[in-house]
Amino acid sequence: MSDAPLALTLSVALLWPLLLLLRVPLMVALADRGRPAILIDTIWCTAPLPALALALSVDEGALVFDWWLLGGHWTLDGTRGPLLTVTALLWLMAGIYARGYLAGEQVRAVAGDGAAEARLTRFALLWPLTLSGNLLLLVAEDIASFYTGFAMMTFAAYGLVVHSGTRDARLGGCAYLMMAVLGEGLILAGLLWGAGSIGTTTLGGLRQGMIEAPGGVWMGLLLWLGFGIKAGIVGLHLWLPLAHPVAPTPASAVLSGAMIKAGMVGWLVTLPLGESTAGDPFAWLGRTMLAAGLVAAIGAALYGVCQRQPKAVLAYSSISQMGMITALVAMGLIAPALWPALSVAVVLFAAHHALTKGALFLGVGIGEHPPRLPAWLLWTLLALPALSLSGALASGLAAKWVFKTVLYEGGYPAVVTWLSLAAVGTAALMARTLWCQWQDECQAAPTGSMPLVSSMPLAWVTTLLAALTLPWWLGGELVEGGWPPLAELPGLLWPLALGLLGSVVVWAVARRRALRFIHRLPPGDLWWPLARAWQALRTRGQVRLARLGRAQAGWVAWWVARERDAVRALDGMTRGEEWLRHHAAVLMMVVAAGLALLMLFRLA
Amino acid sequence: MSGGLLVLAALGTSLFAALLIFLLPERAFRARTGLNLGAALIKLSLVAWMVWGLSRGREYAVEFAVLEELAFVLRADALGIMFAGLSSLLWLFTTVYAIGYLEDSPNRKRFFGFFSLCVASTFGISLAGNLFTFLVFYELLTLSTYPLVVHRGTYRALAAGRVYLRYTLTAGLVLMIGMVALHALAGDIRFGQRELLAEFGPEDRLMLVGLFWVLIAGFGVKAAIVPLHGWLPRAMVAPAPVSALLHAVAVVKAGAFGIVRLVYDVYGIELSAKLGLLNGLVAVASATILYGSLRALAQQELKPRLAYSTVSQVSYIVLGVGLFGPLGTIAALSHLLHQGLMKITLFFCAGNYAEELGIHRIDELDGVGRRMPLTSLAFTVGALGMIGLPPVVGFLSKWYLGMGSIQAGMPWVIAVLVASSLLNAAYFLPLLDRLWFRPGPDHGVGEWPEERRLGRLETHAWLLVPTMATALFCLMAGALAGLPFSPLEWATRVTNVEYLP
Repeated sequence: MSDAPLALTLSVALLWPLLLLLRVPLMVALADRGRPAILIDTIWCTAPLPALALALSVDEGALVFDWWLLGGHWTLDGTRGPLLTVTALLWLMAGIYARGYLAGEQVRAVAGDGAAEARLTRFALLWPLTLSGNLLLLVAEDIASFYTGFAMMTFAAYGLVVHSGTRDARLGGCAYLMMAVLGEGLILAGLLWGAGSIGTTTLGGLRQGMIEAPGGVWMGLLLWLGFGIKAGIVGLHLWLPLAHPVAPTPASAVLSGAMIKAGMVGWLVTLPLGESTAGDPFAWLGRTMLAAGLVAAIGAALYGVCQRQPKAVLAYSSISQMGMITALVAMGLIAPALWPALSVAVVLFAAHHALTKGALFLGVGIGEHPPRLPAWLLWTLLALPALSLSGALASGLAAKWVFKTVLYEGGYPAVVTWLSLAAVGTAALMARTLWCQWQDECQAAPTGSMPLVSSMPLAWVTTLLAALTLPWWLGGELVEGGWPPLAELPGLLWPLALGLLGSVVVWAVARRRALRFIHRLPPGDLWWPLARAWQALRTRGQVRLARLGRAQAGWVAWWVARERDAVRALDGMTRGEEWLRHHAAVLMMVVAAGLALLMLFRLA
Repeated sequence: MSGGLLVLAALGTSLFAALLIFLLPERAFRARTGLNLGAALIKLSLVAWMVWGLSRGREYAVEFAVLEELAFVLRADALGIMFAGLSSLLWLFTTVYAIGYLEDSPNRKRFFGFFSLCVASTFGISLAGNLFTFLVFYELLTLSTYPLVVHRGTYRALAAGRVYLRYTLTAGLVLMIGMVALHALAGDIRFGQRELLAEFGPEDRLMLVGLFWVLIAGFGVKAAIVPLHGWLPRAMVAPAPVSALLHAVAVVKAGAFGIVRLVYDVYGIELSAKLGLLNGLVAVASATILYGSLRALAQQELKPRLAYSTVSQVSYIVLGVGLFGPLGTIAALSHLLHQGLMKITLFFCAGNYAEELGIHRIDELDGVGRRMPLTSLAFTVGALGMIGLPPVVGFLSKWYLGMGSIQAGMPWVIAVLVASSLLNAAYFLPLLDRLWFRPGPDHGVGEWPEERRLGRLETHAWLLVPTMATALFCLMAGALAGLPFSPLEWATRVTNVEYLP
């Protein structure tokens, strides 16, 4: 596509959500007193449409302009294009879902509930802002734009996390924000150091230059950790299980589906993946990443099956899946020759996870307000994305096949085995999710079911279908991986079977003997001991600071006392002057007499 | 208009305005308002004329000899006119804000008279051509800001004024001693004549280093370098326009500007690097940056928190000065402008909150976003800029400081920058959370300390418009930084023209 139309389309795609954002306060201001405007309407839901249209129609293109920040450079290519498509689609579906999800709150707001109105206004404002950030970082090729998009997305999402205002939501938001700020700091450090040493303002320059720059691998480490906080690598994942469950369901869907992928995108654009000249230090970084990824994949699965809320289980499943993606990305550093084929697998896997996880989250919300469908159909539709995520169906199977072939041909069967073990965990997590949803539905009071052709069910079913049929419509390269021949299927399906078997065994055991230790494993794992340690440190620190403050106050008081003494001495001198004046006559006579005596003695 | 006349005219507008204001009776509100605004606009246009003229290669200078070897010099060079431009523009906004803020309060004649004297002093500082002239206007600045600091006349205000005088008069004395010693050593050094000091051999090295630190101490009090910063948080008792003035436009900037002049135009960057002075500056600046942010965390009131934030942020300028190389210079000069824009926005917002709702403490900020959305939006923009998030302009300063630190061979400075960003986030983000995400009196929880409905919109128009304007400038200066007249481009041009070795 030539420059001018691309410039126009790209600008519209990024500006449209911002224009919708500006529309919200206008509507609030123009609404009649006592009849609040309906903010989350059809026009509001169209925010990602221009971006989706752009992503589907344009394969490659670039835009360069000088006046933006440090020099703007936006592109679309084989990696960003599919991710942009999937992101925009997920945001679109989640937005339509949100319209139905928040309908109850909208009714309350119109009826006069001020708190509901405030919450809705915030949601209506922050959702398009987060979307803009997400879209910007996907097309940005210059560092400043990328950082802008990432920061905008991260900080605006805080409002989505704390939407409901409950205590859990505030805790989740606090954890989210603290780790987000830490991540921003690490990313900034890596970007400043890298861009400064290399002397570039583009991500491509950073990638290339990191190989030769002195200390390049440490820049890579900082960037991996910084983006890894967003992507939920093990150790830095603490915020994920606290924040994702407490957000409203459509927000959870985009948080888990689209926004944690931004961390992965950060790795893809800044790390020198697939560069055979990268050298040994980067291979070691890759090995660390691989280990961390596999630990996350398996550990999150083990912890996640102990959770009791379906959204918490899904959050841990996200950590587990991102662990697998981390491991795959790490292979780009360990075995650069494999990267061209592997990057296709990574993009497919990420796209598949985005839509499937989105469908799963939306499905959790569906369970609370089921549409008028026969129960068996409903549960089949709920189970389909779960099976796909476990790698048994559709896009999950295709993704798994692609990276399995690449890794086997590259000579890394051990990695494949570990990833398959992680897939066992995924299967168990999916079973646990469906089980928790079943339990919740059994215990919940029957609320009215809704018609099939309304926002929530439509959005959910569309996301579901899009997730399942992903390899066909996403892009040419990705279909080339093809489908596994029938002979290979057992090799791909055994993790699912093993996971299901394990789940059934554990369920049978739990029926006999209640596994009480599960209650002692709250979502957020390491967060709680860390928070307690921080409180202890803080109290001790405050005692020390109070002592320091008192010492400083004493020092200042001493100086002030000295100043008072000096002023008093000066006042004393005035009195001395008075004294002199009173006794001047006598003094003069004494001095004169003394001089006279002296002269007498001298003459004598 | 010939060069000297234009300089004198620009200086004279504020002096003349001050005189007229002192002559007008207290009750002549409209005349005084017209005079203030008129003087600010005339000054801004004269400065703009000088900028245009300088770009065409004209000279603007006026000088006369005070003693045989000592001259009073006012000369417009690229750096000086950049600072004059910033102060004139922000002056206009502060004037509008002060007119709105002090409506219905007593002693406005006194306030605006000294206000105009203050702007005259700042203009003199920016255009000073040698240390003597600089000192004259520096002391004039101290004396004209004292009545502004103690304007309210309460016990706390007078105590704060005493502390302010103690610090700044001592600083002026130290500065004078340094200036005299430097004069005795090398004669009358005009800004830009770096070769005079460069001629001195290693036997005078100790003297040069000692004089440098003496002069830095003198400038450092106004520039709020730790441990000379004590007056700044106490001066928060002054009305908001005065705080905005002190922090963003005049006083603190004058100190930082003095340090910039000292290192670039008196000693020269190469001599400073040779004498090892830059490392010391970087160390002092880093300590100030971290200390200021740590103290800000502990504050419970809004304006003292912003004051400590200023202490921390102005040292970014000193840090940039200490980084050898054009990128560090660009960072220092551009941050002079950026920090002014962001800080003035934040202080305007703090003043709006205090005037409209009686809010002084941080825990009274709950739910203000609903009651005063435009002001809170401006506050958000300023706070995000302080944290260093693009597209607000603060990010560009951090970027260039990072680049400059690598260029100067001090990569550890990036750790200081990142720590400072984290600390800034730690004390600004809770404020934003309270503004937007906590229920407040407008949601039915609690009450405003002292609500006065000052205007049809959320507050008086004279208070709201300057706030929105400066916030908009913060955003535009960042997002449109590549355009020819953005602060960043200006700073880059000054660096390329004057300071490239």
